[in-house]
Amino acid sequence: MTYTVTVEPTGEQIEVEEGQTILQAALRQGVWIPFACGHGLCATCKVTVIDGDVDVGNASPFALMDSERDDGMVLACCATVESDVTIEADIDVDDDFEGYAVEDFTATVTKIVDLSPTIKGVHLSLDGAMTFQAGQYINLLIPGCDGVRAFSIANPPSNNQEIELHIRHVQGGVGTSYIHEQLKVGETLPLSGPYGQFFVRSSLPGDLIFIAGGSGLSSPQSMILDLLENGDQRQITLLQGARNQAELYNADLFTALAEKHANLTYIPALNDANEDESWKGFKGFVHEAAKEHFDGRFADHKAYLCGPPPMIDAAISALMQGRLFEKDIFMEKFITAADGAEDNRSALFKKI
Amino acid sequence: MTATKKLNLKQKYQYLTRDMDWEPSYQKKSDIFPHEDFEGIKIVDWDGWEDPFRLTMDSYWKYQAEKEKKLYAIFDAFAQNNGHQNISDARYVNSLKLFLSGVSPLEYAAFQGYSKVGRQFSGAGARVACQMQAIDELRHSQTQQHAMSHYNKHFNGLHDAPLMHDRVWFLSVPKSFFDDARSAGPFEFLTAISFSFEYVLTNLLFVPFMSGAAYNGDMATVTFGFSAQSDEARHMTLGLEIIKFMLEQHEDNVPIVQKWIDKWFWRGFRLLSLVSMMMDYMLPNKVMSWQEAWEVYYEQSGGALFKELARYGIKPPKYQDVANAAKEHISHQLWTTFYQYGQATNFHTWIPKEEEMEWLAEKYPNTFDKYYRPRFEHWEKEHKKGNRFYNNTLPQLCQVCQVPVLFTKTEDPTAFSHCDTVHEGERYHFCSEACGEIFADEPAKYVQAVLPVHQIYKGKCGGPDLPDVLTDHYHINIGEDNFDYVGSPDEKRWNEIKGIKPLNKDNDAA
Repeated sequence: MTYTVTVEPTGEQIEVEEGQTILQAALRQGVWIPFACGHGLCATCKVTVIDGDVDVGNASPFALMDSERDDGMVLACCATVESDVTIEADIDVDDDFEGYAVEDFTATVTKIVDLSPTIKGVHLSLDGAMTFQAGQYINLLIPGCDGVRAFSIANPPSNNQEIELHIRHVQGGVGTSYIHEQLKVGETLPLSGPYGQFFVRSSLPGDLIFIAGGSGLSSPQSMILDLLENGDQRQITLLQGARNQAELYNADLFTALAEKHANLTYIPALNDANEDESWKGFKGFVHEAAKEHFDGRFADHKAYLCGPPPMIDAAISALMQGRLFEKDIFMEKFITAADGAEDNRSALFKKI
Repeated sequence: MTATKKLNLKQKYQYLTRDMDWEPSYQKKSDIFPHEDFEGIKIVDWDGWEDPFRLTMDSYWKYQAEKEKKLYAIFDAFAQNNGHQNISDARYVNSLKLFLSGVSPLEYAAFQGYSKVGRQFSGAGARVACQMQAIDELRHSQTQQHAMSHYNKHFNGLHDAPLMHDRVWFLSVPKSFFDDARSAGPFEFLTAISFSFEYVLTNLLFVPFMSGAAYNGDMATVTFGFSAQSDEARHMTLGLEIIKFMLEQHEDNVPIVQKWIDKWFWRGFRLLSLVSMMMDYMLPNKVMSWQEAWEVYYEQSGGALFKELARYGIKPPKYQDVANAAKEHISHQLWTTFYQYGQATNFHTWIPKEEEMEWLAEKYPNTFDKYYRPRFEHWEKEHKKGNRFYNNTLPQLCQVCQVPVLFTKTEDPTAFSHCDTVHEGERYHFCSEACGEIFADEPAKYVQAVLPVHQIYKGKCGGPDLPDVLTDHYHINIGEDNFDYVGSPDEKRWNEIKGIKPLNKDNDAA
């Protein structure tokens, strides 16, 4: 039995299985609730139940007082749910989050494009319009896969009947192998969306830096096309990292856009092109290109990162050394079956 | 229809804390908060301060009142049921004597320290956070004393802990640690106590004592631990916030913060050597070895933290490798020292029992049998002959950490890591290169250190002989509080409680 828990004040929804704690479910589904000890002693994860039935579980009587229990408070790390529930947690409301409802769609494959030797562009037409924010993702149910797979939307929200996805073939990955080897035009797939907290924070001032790696160009592509369509006047810099010229895709698109829009700068970086005489652009990792372009100073910008975990990690380090910190960095990590579990982390950072 | 956005807790709390603040009109801010600048820390914008916790006085009072009602109900039950009779062994009580005279007064010092810095920040958020923690620390000092007060009715050495904290020679180690922090500026104080101590090293103090209490049947102290833990979580978040805040406010802060982290990591490590000895020697039922605790709580957790701090340009503490290498030695070196000076302590010392030596040998396969067991075997043989060894030469104390110069070099565990320096015509001694470096950075501060051994020689501690110092100045009752556990009144009382026959009379203390 699975119940839905709505987390106020953001309104995010998570699915909680029977016996699973609210905190476990929230963290697994990317919803951050403050926590520390994780086993009912410190009370950092105290939340208020607004509606529904919750079992307080094994909360210490010194961490969750009787008077608090009477007021409907629980510790998310111990509490399990017995119905659909609404809780209020000590989390920030994001003013730029539009909170469009998640809906189910049936998608028909209209076009499959070879973007690079390892990345395909998959175009889907939906059986209804999906309202989403540029940068968000959808969940796709792929035949032969256990559960859904998440892919970021690459087209801007102005086109809401069609969805463009950039899908890299993960060696040994069942889902992406199916898409690369078997998926045919005309095939239909169930899809739901939009999901995610990766979108441009328009209320925050400052010029924009996008750093994309591999198929992580998808979200920044949607975001930048959206910004340009809406006539945003801030300086936008897109840094795209790839291994070599063959893997660098949509470069023509962004070169052309940069020529047309004075506020867009496009910087491709190839990290495996030392032998490539014909490559006149930056040679090295994309975070190194960012350091060089901004002379190591990133303060007063807003950075959006999208790509594989090692690229994100290197980019965060470069940005922080250049004095841009957690509150100004937003990211979408593309975690695949090939990535290991995260090792021991401290409580220093919340979201990066 | 758009839903009206509710204020979340953070916004509500910001209104509460920030709106209580005001801009001065007829005084300069720098005159009101004179300590804020002199450490060189640059704060560009206090609005960047993120409240590490949000707790209003109203809810704090309600919450803590209920918590303490529960806590004191358990203390009462513990006392009425003669809970002291259910502990593992009376030797356990000696770790409480150490805690009560070494740690509880630090809670009080923390209360004073946070009250002071809670006045010194021009940012209201930081002021409020410090004032809230000050109240926590005062409560902890009180509840710890109440948790342990029952033992004072039945065992010796617990009767005058605050005075002993101020005067007894080895208790100048914890006392001077906090005095050093409290006499620093407000930002260094928070780096020292909130970050280095409460965040990086706290599990090495708290877990051993509280788990030690649980393993040894001390329900009163265990319950105190549970009641304090919800406060400790808040203290840790303040430690992280102050570090992030300073590092993000200005890049010139980075080298200053690095220096403080280097210093306070080392100061904390030296202070915790007292805990290492408690874990390995003083708990009759062992929780884990100091080495294991250091590996879990420092090498792993601290490693993860410093990996993430590297993004700010912060490196792991300078003398981390020395501390890591010392994990196989410090508890043994300290206990063998206290064993020799057991005539001048407010707790008893003893030779580990054979099964305890086996445990130590198993936990410390590289060092215990090779370096330390032979000393215990020699002393035990002497004790059996009626020569319980007490060292009557007062030790040389380190000018900075005030631990006797007893620790050894990383590359040679048979050579002291002693070093010295001459400053303005006077020679100063240190336990280690790291302490010497702390001195060199602020000699004007550390030349003022009150070293208990020097004070005795100066005649400022009663005197002229050691018994006079112990009795008049330290309030140690000779023959009751000090000397070996074997043959002590504590042992006798415990044997009566448990119906155990007294041991061989030859084992009586010197």
